[in-house]
Amino acid sequence: MSLITNSDIKSNIAMAALHNVIDPEIGLNVADLGLIYEINFDEDEMRVSTIMTLTTQFCPMGESIVDGVTQAMQQTFPEYNIQVDLIFDPPWSYDLISEEGREFLNL
Amino acid sequence: MALASMMSADPVKTTSYKVVLPFYAYAAVSFLVATLLLFLSAGAFGRHYFHPHVIAITHTMTLAWGTMIILGASHQLVPVLIEGKLYSNVLAYISFALAAVGIPLLIYAFYHFNMNWMARRGGELVVDAIVVYLVNMGISMSKSKTENVHAVFVFTGGLWLLITTIVGILLVYNFSKPLFSQDSLHYLSLHANMGIIGWFLLLVIGVGSRLIPMFLISKYTNPKLLWKVYGLINAGLIAFIFMFLYHIPACYYLLPVAAVLSALLLFGYYCRQAYKKRLRKRVDEQIKISMLSVIMMLAPVVLMVVLIVALAITGENTRLVLAYGFAVFFGWMTAMILGMTFKTMPFIVWNRVYHKKAGLGKTPSPKDLFSSKVFVGMALVYILGFLLFITGILTTIVLVLQAGALLLLLAAGLYNFNVFKVILHKSGAT
Repeated sequence: MSLITNSDIKSNIAMAALHNVIDPEIGLNVADLGLIYEINFDEDEMRVSTIMTLTTQFCPMGESIVDGVTQAMQQTFPEYNIQVDLIFDPPWSYDLISEEGREFLNL
Repeated sequence: MALASMMSADPVKTTSYKVVLPFYAYAAVSFLVATLLLFLSAGAFGRHYFHPHVIAITHTMTLAWGTMIILGASHQLVPVLIEGKLYSNVLAYISFALAAVGIPLLIYAFYHFNMNWMARRGGELVVDAIVVYLVNMGISMSKSKTENVHAVFVFTGGLWLLITTIVGILLVYNFSKPLFSQDSLHYLSLHANMGIIGWFLLLVIGVGSRLIPMFLISKYTNPKLLWKVYGLINAGLIAFIFMFLYHIPACYYLLPVAAVLSALLLFGYYCRQAYKKRLRKRVDEQIKISMLSVIMMLAPVVLMVVLIVALAITGENTRLVLAYGFAVFFGWMTAMILGMTFKTMPFIVWNRVYHKKAGLGKTPSPKDLFSSKVFVGMALVYILGFLLFITGILTTIVLVLQAGALLLLLAAGLYNFNVFKVILHKSGAT
């Protein structure tokens, strides 16, 4: 599922930053894990909104992961307002893991 | 942008580490104390199970070790299970304080076989701690939007714990003021099985059935099967209590044992399915030892069947009763805790130390907070110590008992090393 929209360059920068946000339980970053559904740049309102999910709704590390995404985006785009929305529909599935992620997890 | 219009959810709110870590620290030290007492009193395990030192060690294991760590972990896990938050941190602190004071009083009184004020006050404080815990859990669950089978297991387990401790304190009173038709020794199996099956088994299955698939990153769920497990365990336990109180011949006890055994086999099937459908192919040592404890659940049941057959044929068998109790508390329950401690506590501490640093650079992973070499060493020493000690119980050779106890003491020392390494972890300390 490729849902990255708007500015490709900025989206790539954002995804690179999100490679630093690790799901502590799995040890894989949120980008390769497929937790990031959308990153939208609103240049008029100077806002970056990220739509993401978690591997499970009950994830005890969820708060930490969402905060990690917020902090990584804030650090990368300090001039923008950062918004992170968490959704569980559509749910996360194994199919969303990238090739690099599959290699890391020995899938 | 279809996703943008979707309803945004909140991540599960985790309970503060300040609530949870005191329970873990208390339990870890208690495990060390229990194994030290075991080493110092190893000879007592060659005699009758109604020995003051055996009773003191049993309560150190069940209350100070098993119950305290489970209470602590459930303050952390119940909000995860119910997708809500803990109702009150203050109630959790009160529950901890009451239990932390009451348990040593009770154990000291048992060790010196003094059933007067110290045992009574100690027992009453433990009952109060459990009531406070249940109020906190009950209100947390009632405020939750979702009700699920795992939370029902935990709450029912808590109710059985309350009943077990109330029966326990009545047995203490029964020593000096006869409350029951027979002496306290007669009711010991009732008290013990309510605690083992009602509290420990229900809680371990309720929490384990959520945690094991989660740690394996398995999508397997089967609430229907878990409800069957729940029904079988409760029906088996209630049937046992009824049979015990109405003096039904020992051979009929095989019926409740069959119900509990069926529940365990179903839970084993559940774990196997979760394992087969796991995403994580490399299973870490902590999960391995927890899975081992699922298999170890069968050992006490097999011993129970042998015990009932022996009871029906030859009357009471002290060796088997001791071996059964040891297999439950030092075997199954301890193996589960040894594994699960390092699957839960490092995450709690990681959240405390690295929450604000997440996403801003490289941070260690939770499993880097403890030494995996020490963990593997602990697991090996523990398994060897367990096997030696249970052999010592069955053969009544004191030297074997002492050797087993010494290894278990060493395992407890290694466990404490890792627990405090995690608790005292500071940023940049790995």
